[in-house]
Amino acid sequence: METRLPDEIEVAIKEQDARPPEQRLTPAEWVRENLFSSPFNSVLTILVGALAVWLVFALAKWVFVSADWRVVQVNLRVYMLGRFPIEKAWAIWASLWFVLGLAGLSWGVSGRRLRWTPGRIARRLVLTGVFVYVLVYLLEGLGVWIRIGISLAILAAAVAVGRAGGRHLRLPLVAGWALAFPVVIILIRLVAGVPPGRWEGFFLNVMLGVIAIFLSFPIGVLLALGRRSTLPVVSKFSVLAIEVIRGVPLVTLLIFGVFVLPFLLPSGVVLPTIMRAAVMMTIFSSAYVAEIVRGGLQGVAEGQYEASRALGLSTTRTMALVALPQALRNTIPAMIGHFISMFKDTSLIAAIGLADLLRAAQRAPRLEFSGDIRESLVAAAIIFWAVAFSMSRWSQRLERRLGVGER
Amino acid sequence: MGTRVAAETARPPLWRDVRVLRVLGQAVFVVLVVFALREAGQTLTGNLDRQNQDIGFGFLDARAGFGINEGIAYSPNETFLKAFFVGLVNTLRIAGAGIVVATILGIVMGVARLSSNWLVRTLARVYVEAIRNTPVLVQIVFWWLAIFLKFGPPAEGGVGLGPFAILSSRTINFAWPRFGDGALLFWIVTAVGLAVAAVVWRSRTRRWQETGEPHHRLPIALGIVLVFAVVGQFVAGSPVSLETPDITGRDIEGGVQLTPAFAAILVGLIVYTSAFIAEIVRGSILAVDKGQKEAAQAIGLSRTQQLRDVVLPQAMRIAIPPMNSQYLNLTKNTSLAIAVGFPDMMSVSRTIMNQTAKATEMLLLVMATYLILSLFISSVMNLANRRLALRGAR
Repeated sequence: METRLPDEIEVAIKEQDARPPEQRLTPAEWVRENLFSSPFNSVLTILVGALAVWLVFALAKWVFVSADWRVVQVNLRVYMLGRFPIEKAWAIWASLWFVLGLAGLSWGVSGRRLRWTPGRIARRLVLTGVFVYVLVYLLEGLGVWIRIGISLAILAAAVAVGRAGGRHLRLPLVAGWALAFPVVIILIRLVAGVPPGRWEGFFLNVMLGVIAIFLSFPIGVLLALGRRSTLPVVSKFSVLAIEVIRGVPLVTLLIFGVFVLPFLLPSGVVLPTIMRAAVMMTIFSSAYVAEIVRGGLQGVAEGQYEASRALGLSTTRTMALVALPQALRNTIPAMIGHFISMFKDTSLIAAIGLADLLRAAQRAPRLEFSGDIRESLVAAAIIFWAVAFSMSRWSQRLERRLGVGER
Repeated sequence: MGTRVAAETARPPLWRDVRVLRVLGQAVFVVLVVFALREAGQTLTGNLDRQNQDIGFGFLDARAGFGINEGIAYSPNETFLKAFFVGLVNTLRIAGAGIVVATILGIVMGVARLSSNWLVRTLARVYVEAIRNTPVLVQIVFWWLAIFLKFGPPAEGGVGLGPFAILSSRTINFAWPRFGDGALLFWIVTAVGLAVAAVVWRSRTRRWQETGEPHHRLPIALGIVLVFAVVGQFVAGSPVSLETPDITGRDIEGGVQLTPAFAAILVGLIVYTSAFIAEIVRGSILAVDKGQKEAAQAIGLSRTQQLRDVVLPQAMRIAIPPMNSQYLNLTKNTSLAIAVGFPDMMSVSRTIMNQTAKATEMLLLVMATYLILSLFISSVMNLANRRLALRGAR
């Protein structure tokens, strides 16, 4: 669902978030400025501080003392892959490495290096420490560690190659990213031969999110063009389609996919539930993509259309060669935002009985190990959160670099 | 040369005439859409025929035969239509309460994010970032299974919050005022108080506008209503009392009663939506032109006045469109009740589908209802938008 704010709000927020640090204060000054600037603030600090201390203490006590994380340890594979055949898990690792390689190359080519200020070093050390600690606690067996090692090696190698190759790698990279989705699907579905019915756990969330975005993109662009069309019939139809889909909850569409969609297919054609969910999520996503693209098209200056017309380009060429490329560039942040919210929405398939991460976490305490639902759900929430949060941070950084919305 | 000019000003051939092409293009489009719809319709009816089913809404008048454990009065002997209506009312209850509370919580969090106090600012930020990036369904299920169902059965005492509330895995009861004999007199006296307060409010406002004296109209008006209410309570012989919850064997009785599923979906939606509203509030306040605040400062308004009389009214104008889409999201998200077994419109409809195999009809009904709800909310927000909009060009 829509999560992006209107541009004037986004710009104001970005301005505040990016505000340069104030002049250096001594710790005492900082405390006075930020915690005890007025009597009201002092009272607030003491009250909220007490609450914060109590919260942190209670949370820490639960995490390190009362909670029993064995349920996560035992069921980690269930969370991630569900009943995905374990002997075929190599296909997922291979896909991961492929994508990691592309990501590393892109990073290398973009030429950005990590900056190491003392604050950043401290933060990265803490983050890495926590991450390694959690992994050491959760992962058993040498195999997993070897694969993680390979992943890191591939990432590092790709970054190095990307740096060395520089601009020459741009075109192959674009091709690589365009091919990534079909390659992964072919690898898992055809080479490893795992039918979608066995895609489960967090892997299913990721795949459904990616499938929905990938397939909804062309449909969304078409709907956006349709909405802006000067042909009244076409634009009315597009508006109707977009608004009806956006006015209806995703759960309703998913249930439509389960109960009605099979009747809309010619007899003899049977779609597994996962594919039906994918179809409905694609339809749902298309309407939102259409609105994002429409926003991007509106942002293209009128002069661009006029100039293109003056050069004698046809309407189609104006759209394809002048308007759309600029519009799509402007929509990148909104698209990532939409992808994040689609990814979060994939958890809704639990409501139609598919075994995604949420459902796995709900069932895990009753499986091999009778653990507590609290630890199980917290683990699922953290996995979702970590992915969504890091994507949104990455998108903010990307946005700053693209300078979108600053002209 | 002359002949070429003549050729260009002449009408182009039909297959290159834009006017003709436009009509033709639309005709082709209509034919394609109609063909696709007809094809889909025929496949649907054909497939339904094969299962000896037909399309029609007649079944809604049949006896429902299943119970609904929450909401307005209803018995299994009533019709499917009534059952659907019970679900709709439940959906409206969550949406209405959710919108009100999420707005309040969101405003508090949004203002907290702008606080000059580092601790307040940081806590609000952690709240927003943690909540926003976790799927709402995960949160709802967490509230349901990991919090509300963990309070323990009433027989073991549940979790008590003094006389005000008892939380148990069976029901959650809050203390609530009860109006006994003589409540009518109480209401009449309170209504008189309201009228007096309104008169005083207007006179204070006029005075403030004429002389610039501080009006203090809100505390004065509230005080008047409160005094009248207390007098009413006294005169009418204490008709209003607080009904506190009590454990009676296996149940809790008294006060307002919620089920864990209702509480989970309501709290889950409130918390999730409030994080988004907080960002809207923060952004809208920041988006108000800096010059406005500086001008307010320059004419000597206090900090409170700057915020209350200059910045916030303008921020509200900016905030209304994105707030509208949050309200729509919250309303649509009430359908997640299906995951916790709360009988909202969607989950009652699903039960009806299971009983009657009328999935197409029920889903059409559900979708149409959600669309109407969305339209209603949007039109209310548009009204607010128009009332707040600047007069004349902007």
